[in-house]
Amino acid sequence: MSKALHRFAVFVACATFFLIIAGANVTSHDAGLATSDWPLSNGQVFPKMVGNLFWEHGHRMVATVVGMLTIVLAVWFQVREPRSWVKRLAWGALAAVIAQGLLGGLTVKLNLPLVVSAAHATLAQLFFLITVSLAVFTSKRWVDAEASPDTVEGPPLRAMCVLSLAVILTQLVLGATLRHSATWDQDLPTPLLVAHICGAGVVTLVLATTAAFVILRHRGETYLARPAMIAVSLLVVQLALGLAAYITRMRSPYDPQPLNPMVAVTVAHVACGALVFAATIVLTLRVFRIIRAKQSEYRLAHA
Amino acid sequence: MLSRNVRLWLGLIAIISLLSFVSSCGSKTEEEPEPGTNTAGSPPPPSKGNEGTISGKVTYAGTAPEAKKIDTSADAACTSKSPNLTTEEWVVKDGNLANTFVYIKDGAIDGANKLATYAWPAPGAAAVLDQNGCHYKPHVLGVVAKQKISITNSDPTTHNVHFTQGLNPDWNQSQPNGAPALTHVLNAAEVMVPVKCNQHPWMKSYIAVLKHPFFAVSAEDGTYTIKGVPPGKYTVVAWHEGGAKGTEKTMEVTVPASGAGKADFAFGGTALGQPASLPMLPAIEFPSLHNH
Repeated sequence: MSKALHRFAVFVACATFFLIIAGANVTSHDAGLATSDWPLSNGQVFPKMVGNLFWEHGHRMVATVVGMLTIVLAVWFQVREPRSWVKRLAWGALAAVIAQGLLGGLTVKLNLPLVVSAAHATLAQLFFLITVSLAVFTSKRWVDAEASPDTVEGPPLRAMCVLSLAVILTQLVLGATLRHSATWDQDLPTPLLVAHICGAGVVTLVLATTAAFVILRHRGETYLARPAMIAVSLLVVQLALGLAAYITRMRSPYDPQPLNPMVAVTVAHVACGALVFAATIVLTLRVFRIIRAKQSEYRLAHA
Repeated sequence: MLSRNVRLWLGLIAIISLLSFVSSCGSKTEEEPEPGTNTAGSPPPPSKGNEGTISGKVTYAGTAPEAKKIDTSADAACTSKSPNLTTEEWVVKDGNLANTFVYIKDGAIDGANKLATYAWPAPGAAAVLDQNGCHYKPHVLGVVAKQKISITNSDPTTHNVHFTQGLNPDWNQSQPNGAPALTHVLNAAEVMVPVKCNQHPWMKSYIAVLKHPFFAVSAEDGTYTIKGVPPGKYTVVAWHEGGAKGTEKTMEVTVPASGAGKADFAFGGTALGQPASLPMLPAIEFPSLHNH
């Protein structure tokens, strides 16, 4: 297993996280239509980065860099990675980043239709999922790990982790749709807002329960307990950021322009949401790697 | 087992993408635009030479909210041209309120023919919306449906003009400094079409589109005059921006033949301009946050 390839995969995952922050800034500054053309900005490759064009064109530049990094990553995997399914996942990353770029262009050309904008924000999280997974799959610990049966009686951890991941992704979709359904100077739609708040409750319940079971059953196994602890800690921060985002965002229609407190808090909320997702991805993959499926789960999966 | 995991991920991705699509579609609450369909009507009755006017004054009761300072530091061209730019939401001088859009919403000409059954032709002259000092001039504008709107850029920087979607479709166009004027036409009657610049998010203007030319915008002294109004009984509305959707005041006005109808409007109070307290969802109010 190439240590350099793993480090590069981690680097691409970090770059993707930075790209998510850049994209969140575009939405919070209402900069998505700062220029009406794409892929150029005002007909230029390097326009004058003033006003909101700084955020929109800056996002495009970061995305271009991440796209190039993903090309290198995908090719590198084909050369050095022996596992065919990991190679395919690397191609999947490349396909996702290309689709993401095209969705970004489409959302500008169509003047930010909600469906396309929300899909763009959702695919960003899914691309992040793939890059984090590639980083996990290439780690030495993953390769060296040996599966062991989950001997303690109780709820199946594999299923709980997948459920956690599913509710977090659903919550991310709801959040993305909520953010793109109203600009900073408009009121957020109440049904979506209520759904997102309820989603926070569901995520808290499911993820906290999952993490508690992982920590209780595998206290001595830091490979599992650590991502569980990190996921729950980030969840606490995320809930606080969510409340702060709600307060600042409800006031923003009365502000003269997108103000820094609202921008900073909403961007941090998006970023922390991505980190909760990433920590849960790592936890889920490791649980699948370390804990052998019980016979009952195995039969269920192959029924 | 591992290939099964990959299949699981792919399935999850497909499900979430589908969920995103359904969630986005389901949350669309905006009325679908139907360009031009609400501006149909028969030609207006010929002038009898006995048209009158509707005039009045728009005032602000109480202490007006202070204009908020705008931070233009994101674009040095804006800072140098408009170093003390402030919001234009509440332009109040000696209690008189500017930038209020006053128009006839409904009524009957000569007490018989409903105004809504007519559609006036668009004037030949284009209405002008200028971007000057990184704000729009005028701040509030009225046009007849299908009238041309000429958009100019008098600033040494690039703007983008974004007519946001309502009954009229979304329209977004970049306009570099020195570029020729852009022309845009709004086909559907709509009060208001918010116009903004995504390059400079503080820039806002409001354009009202009507089937008829009976509208005016209050001047700095609060006065307005709607000219050429056929005699009749009308519902007159004064619209002023504030918050997410603005505020309307309504009044019944009778215009006698060759005479004048009068309608004074007063805005103000705690409900306008900014929230008296932190706005909360009715279903999840947090009492402890009410005093923010």
